[in-house]
Amino acid sequence: MSLAIAGMGWVTPLGTGVEFVWNRLLEGEEASATTISAGSSDRVYTAFRVPESTLKGISHPRLRRASAISRFAAVAGLQALESAGLKPESQSAERMALIFAISNGGVTYTKRFYHEIVGTGAQAASPLLFPETVFNAPASHLAAILGLTGATYTLVGDGSVGVAAVTMAEELMANNTLDYCLVVGTEEIDSLLCDAYRRWRLLRSTPPIEPFRKQQRGMILSEGAGAIVLARDGFSAIERVHPGGYFIERSQAEKILTGILSDLSQTEIDLIISSANGTFVDNAESRAVENVLPSSLVYTGKPALGESVGAAGLWQIIFAAQALRSKEIPPVLHADHSGTLYLSRSRIPVASARRAIVLSSGLNQQIAGLRLAIA
Amino acid sequence: MAQGDSRSTTNNSARVGVTAAGVVSPLGFGLAETLESLRHARDCVTAVMRFSVAQCRCKTAGQVSDSRLLAGHPLTRQSRRLHRASHMMIRALREVFSQEPDFDPESMIIGTTSGGMSYGERYYRSLNAGGNLRNAPTWIANYPAQKPVLDAQTACGIAVPCQVIANACASGTNALGHAFECVRSGRYQRVLAGGYDALTEMVFVGFDSLQASTPDKCRPFDRDRSGMVLGEGAAVLALENLDLARKRGATILAEIIGYGISTDNYHITQPEPSGLGARQAMARALEKAQIPAADVDYINAHGTATIFNDAAEGKAISALFDGVPVSSTKSMMGHSLGAAGAIEAVVCLLALQHQFLPANINFTNPDDGFDFDIVANEARSAVVNTVLSNSFGFGGTNASLLMRNMRTGQA
Repeated sequence: MSLAIAGMGWVTPLGTGVEFVWNRLLEGEEASATTISAGSSDRVYTAFRVPESTLKGISHPRLRRASAISRFAAVAGLQALESAGLKPESQSAERMALIFAISNGGVTYTKRFYHEIVGTGAQAASPLLFPETVFNAPASHLAAILGLTGATYTLVGDGSVGVAAVTMAEELMANNTLDYCLVVGTEEIDSLLCDAYRRWRLLRSTPPIEPFRKQQRGMILSEGAGAIVLARDGFSAIERVHPGGYFIERSQAEKILTGILSDLSQTEIDLIISSANGTFVDNAESRAVENVLPSSLVYTGKPALGESVGAAGLWQIIFAAQALRSKEIPPVLHADHSGTLYLSRSRIPVASARRAIVLSSGLNQQIAGLRLAIA
Repeated sequence: MAQGDSRSTTNNSARVGVTAAGVVSPLGFGLAETLESLRHARDCVTAVMRFSVAQCRCKTAGQVSDSRLLAGHPLTRQSRRLHRASHMMIRALREVFSQEPDFDPESMIIGTTSGGMSYGERYYRSLNAGGNLRNAPTWIANYPAQKPVLDAQTACGIAVPCQVIANACASGTNALGHAFECVRSGRYQRVLAGGYDALTEMVFVGFDSLQASTPDKCRPFDRDRSGMVLGEGAAVLALENLDLARKRGATILAEIIGYGISTDNYHITQPEPSGLGARQAMARALEKAQIPAADVDYINAHGTATIFNDAAEGKAISALFDGVPVSSTKSMMGHSLGAAGAIEAVVCLLALQHQFLPANINFTNPDDGFDFDIVANEARSAVVNTVLSNSFGFGGTNASLLMRNMRTGQA
């Protein structure tokens, strides 16, 4: 069974729309960091946020009270359908599945809801907020907007959950009762998340993200959504998905990545989309690449767009699909170019590129990967 | 296992057996205790002591004893840090491997709604109060929803890719249903599937704020029902290609024969009032199994005992089935959310194996709107060959799973 990308949608801190964001990346642009203050302390964090203005124009009764994560997902999902030439109402409502990839979920409303409980007591808890704290609220809203009545799933995991969602899409599409699967990865930022990742020593106080440095200085969180329409025909084929594995100690990540790369590189590979983000992931991925595909061109977009966790896997796939489609790679920003990895400082043509591997290394033990090819 | 090569081999026709199961719930630890509680129709709902419920309408829940949870295996420095949900998953998965030590899974698919939420609560409370955050890294590391699944794998010496499904209260049935589809399609031969959830203050207060939980007893399908009580627990089932399981001489506890999923889009917290979504899920499960509704001997209903859920589910069951015996075992143990579908699949497994119908306790006044046979207050001996388990969740997500007894001679 073949599975291919037929459409894509993108909501990022650098803007919305695949072509728009891609062109900015090619120009070497990066998102502007904004500050987030934690209400409970005087601590201030920086993050790459999606400007509110980019979400104008989307209105639906289900989104009236919905959190940012749901609105990001709706915009990206509708873009993906449009770019695939699909009108939701024209599809059989049962023949399109919807899969969401999420890591932290609606953390803003979750915090606000629990804050009311902690601050004022259970009697103050808002029945309007609680439903939006549920992991599958964003998927529910988009299913309602699209009128889908078949399979809707929300997967939860770390940064690798986007690839897990594509794995699930493959599993669902094995059933001939489905024509399409819309896969959406989405995430929103809150100061609470910044604080948590800081305490975990994964966060950097200010940009930039500097990938592949010997001394990792940490990442900057980001938000937004990525969406792909998977069909049996499209412009970019999902040739192989490796559901990966999990590590207990971070030192084990390299071995899993080496296994994934070995499995996915049974054919000629032109490009590797790395999830390097200025953390321990960078060392693990660079060593695995050096072990298996030392001469491959490597790109990471996280210095430009930030670490979007639940959305990251879908963003990685969009990077790969766009690179193969546009035959160009954006520059890797702020990288240490003194190592052995083949990283480009400027945008470069990849006219003959036919295949790309996407690595998706999460921060919470999970790793996965897949291989894309020009269809 | 990489998936690229297996795609062309899908055949959509493999039969799927359940070869082992493990469970931890308010009904007990393990299959034997669970069976005992079901047979005696025990009310396992107790007062909540884990956090303050002074300002809540509801004061009770089905709860798993911490002292029992932590007993039975040596606690290391590391295991003491794990969330209760991890300990529940470890117990459930260990029971699976105690029955099938050689089960070699290719994938693990688990449902949940809350992950390690109570650690998130502790972290937030400490942060908000400017308190001691020395343990924050531990809380944060054990908060993610996939952590209990990975902890259970580590404890049992396996390391396979996992998918964590968070489809609200349908998550456990969705996990089993998707695992069933994966084995049925030939993509995998052996999959572990189930669900877990641990009681947390935020979720408890959330349902209370919606007035979905009751200060009274949980009375599913009763005319005077007034809401749900929450529960907690974990269950894992070993699903295997039936032919391969037979070849290796495995004991087949039951066969999963159908799975239906639907999304009704009506409201984020309320089911479509006519029961359309529930009816679609059940009808799709029957269609997949290629059996008529009349073949179903028992339905383990979602049956939360809220006014709206039971009304919609009751209408859907009444429309599709003719006088089928129905019970909601949530009346005995509460609603364990992401674990519910998995625990109730174990209940169905026990009903098939031991030929009885679990009870719907606290039932006094029939609701005239429902046309089915409530298994009221006491378990009932019966010939049980085929059972249906329902789970419906926030967001209009609906799932139904059909299981069949392997002792009745189906070839």
